[in-house]
Amino acid sequence: MNSDRPVFLNLVQFHFPIAAVMSVGHRAAGVLMVLTIPFTVYLLDLSLMGPEGYEKARVTLQLGLVKLALLLALWALMHHLLAGIRFLLIDFDIGVGKAAGRRSAILVMVLAPFLALGVGALL
Amino acid sequence: MKFRIYRYDPDRDAAPYLQDFQLEVHPGMMLRDALMALKDQQDDSLSFRHSCGEGVCGSDGINVNGRNCLGCITPVSDFKAPVTIRPLPGRPVIRDLVVDMSQFYQQYRAVKPYLIRKDPLPEQEILQSPAQRERLDGLYECILCGCCSTACPSFWWNPDKFHGPQALLQAWRFLTDSRDQATEERLDALEGPYKLFRCHTIMNCVEVCPKQLNPTRAIGQIKDLMLRHSI
Repeated sequence: MNSDRPVFLNLVQFHFPIAAVMSVGHRAAGVLMVLTIPFTVYLLDLSLMGPEGYEKARVTLQLGLVKLALLLALWALMHHLLAGIRFLLIDFDIGVGKAAGRRSAILVMVLAPFLALGVGALL
Repeated sequence: MKFRIYRYDPDRDAAPYLQDFQLEVHPGMMLRDALMALKDQQDDSLSFRHSCGEGVCGSDGINVNGRNCLGCITPVSDFKAPVTIRPLPGRPVIRDLVVDMSQFYQQYRAVKPYLIRKDPLPEQEILQSPAQRERLDGLYECILCGCCSTACPSFWWNPDKFHGPQALLQAWRFLTDSRDQATEERLDALEGPYKLFRCHTIMNCVEVCPKQLNPTRAIGQIKDLMLRHSI
């Protein structure tokens, strides 16, 4: 095989179906959640240091930027959870069809931000 | 209608480029018709594979506006101008829209796409009940066009190790055939992290299959059979 041959593999020029976008989101959400671990562990540690530490952690959580980051983390959690359930159902041969796969992917994409906003508002 | 077509001639071009064409299209015109008209009327050096013209031979898999499809059964009217036609993704380009499918065929060959019998062959044909025959529906129709495997990210990154949706659909086609007697060997051959299990259920294969087949379901059924055999 001639290894000099060009290959067309430009991800920007490839059209990804909704299920593929959802799948990429599943991975991105997973990475994002892992990245939040050091921050959340730090906050937990801070809050357990005594009343002063607890107050500090509480104030930190009230910062606008932190709230935004938390909302993003909430979205990641919700998207990852819903997408994970969808993949499990597909493993059980539920919703493996083309139309069903599309519908469930759209459902995950729409529901995750709503759930994140809802839970965020409650907290 | 404006067409933008991926061009590459290894003897002339250092790198591939997109060439613009203008073509009068008519109702009912398929992409293959458009390519043939362009070759006939504007540039006879334009290269692409095609043969039967009715979605049976599987020669003219192409990527149009980012989606893989068969040129002969996809109407031009399905797309908005400009219609950008590129070769199937991830395969080495031999010239223009003609790609090297060797790896794809190697993966197909690897699943032993033929009946394996241990009993001596009977004098006449091996009979199947209608129900047994029905199990092959949605599997035997595959025409090896390669639209599914070349739309699969897992196959893009590991075309040498991951069988890809096409070969796995065929693996299931023979695993589920009542006349085949090599179930254990076939399942053993699919073990490991790559050949079968590199599938991440992205379902791009199901999305693009021009024959409306479902490799994702076939892969799930192989995993299910593996589980049943291991307990």
